[in-house]
Amino acid sequence: MSLAATATMVLMLLLLAGFWIIQTGLLAGLQFTEQKVEVVGYLETTATATQIATLQSEIAKMPEVSNVTYVDRDTALQRFRASMAAQGREDLTQYLDSNPLYGSLEVKLVDPTNFGTVGDALRADPIVRNVINIEDLVQRVLTVTDVLRTAGTVVLVIVAIIVLFIIVNTIRLAVVARAEEIEIMRLVGASDSFIRWPFVFDGAMVGLFGSLLTLGILAAAADPISGFMADFFRVLPLQFGSLTRDLVALVLGAGVGLGVLGSWLSVRTYLIR
Amino acid sequence: MTIAPAPRQVRSIRSRVLGRDRDQAKPDRPVLVLHDVTKQYPNGKLALREVDLVIPEGDFVFLVGPSGAGKSTLIKLLIRDELPTRGEVVLDGQDLAHLPRRQVPRMRRKIGIIFQDFKLLPTKTVWENVAFALEVTGTSRGQIRPAVDRVLALVGLTEQAEQVPSQLSGGEQQRTAIARALVHDPRLIIADEPTGNLDPLISWEIIQLLLRINELGVTVMMATHNAQVVTALRKRVVALEEGRVIRDEVGGAYHRED
Repeated sequence: MSLAATATMVLMLLLLAGFWIIQTGLLAGLQFTEQKVEVVGYLETTATATQIATLQSEIAKMPEVSNVTYVDRDTALQRFRASMAAQGREDLTQYLDSNPLYGSLEVKLVDPTNFGTVGDALRADPIVRNVINIEDLVQRVLTVTDVLRTAGTVVLVIVAIIVLFIIVNTIRLAVVARAEEIEIMRLVGASDSFIRWPFVFDGAMVGLFGSLLTLGILAAAADPISGFMADFFRVLPLQFGSLTRDLVALVLGAGVGLGVLGSWLSVRTYLIR
Repeated sequence: MTIAPAPRQVRSIRSRVLGRDRDQAKPDRPVLVLHDVTKQYPNGKLALREVDLVIPEGDFVFLVGPSGAGKSTLIKLLIRDELPTRGEVVLDGQDLAHLPRRQVPRMRRKIGIIFQDFKLLPTKTVWENVAFALEVTGTSRGQIRPAVDRVLALVGLTEQAEQVPSQLSGGEQQRTAIARALVHDPRLIIADEPTGNLDPLISWEIIQLLLRINELGVTVMMATHNAQVVTALRKRVVALEEGRVIRDEVGGAYHRED
């Protein structure tokens, strides 16, 4: 179709892919943060090992729960000492006769919004002394992550719409440049599909070529970028395999799809009379 | 209203020259009938008012009238670029208003159209420009070659077949356009100001060519401002003014002669 259309296609797809990568990173970061939300139930010192094991397996069976860890009193004490030491503070527990801490069940959730149900289940069992009321904290975290997630999606959608309009309009220019050819084809009695097909094919080709070029640029840029963002990615459990696969699907789909759509719409304005 | 007699006997000549036999086609009904056609554009402009027109097979009609009289609108109705607000446009027995969209391209192949600005594709050679009209209709390569060669011979462009439009004179470009209009063996040739961009001598060449094509049996309708040509030839003249047919006479002149 034209160099200009392909160049625009590449730039727009790069923009889209860039925002999509940022959005993916943002979502992964938010998920990581939300995973930090856990419900902790402290256990009576009188609870027997059997009771604890029963409760642990019951809680683990709940669909809202991804993982339950039992922290016994000794482990709790060791953790406390370790954290004191890490902060460079004196270990006051050494002056105590006995371990003042309680054992606990730490429950990780599939979805942090379900903390209430799990908390209630824990409280229902008599061996549970108390459940830390984390509602406030969870609500705040969820508010922040929801806002960020919505904002990310809105930005991505806006970028996608901008990309859509620019690509469709660029292809329209290329079609308008051939308006006379379309006119002549109509006058000599070419069917609509006969006129449309070459343009749609051209649009698909521009889309395909633009997508491949974009993916090439992204592949070439991947190493320096991940070097630059190594720390970021080390913290976050991003799965690069699926990111690459989704990115290829997104760029190819958007490129070819918009190429075809743009040509189809542009030619249509000449065919409908 | 007077109607020129249709020269029926020329059919066989036309079939022989254009290479295809159309004699099994329907008998002698008019190529074109306009009945009570009114066209009002969405902006309210009345382009045609109650136009009645019958063009029999083999006719040669000049369509005259000042700019804005409705000549272009009339042509647009014939190629179904526009639909009449009221009335019927019947081409080769088919009412265009009731023609399904899918049938429009097939119907357009019954018309060959020629413009003032030639409308040739600049990147294609003369031969390819003419062949294009057949390619778009899905004609096989084996049939395209002889048909194109034949019409190029008819308009006298065999020598220039491999040149592109920019290498041609205006007259040659218009002859290419005529060849293209003729190649799919149309029932009706519509020429919209075909000599508008040409000098008088070349204009006469083009007119002679159209007359020859008409002699082969193809109906020709030519919209023109060229008073000299119209008056000299004494063919049927249909005059439009403000959307109405104000005169329709066989052997007429460009202006009214009272």
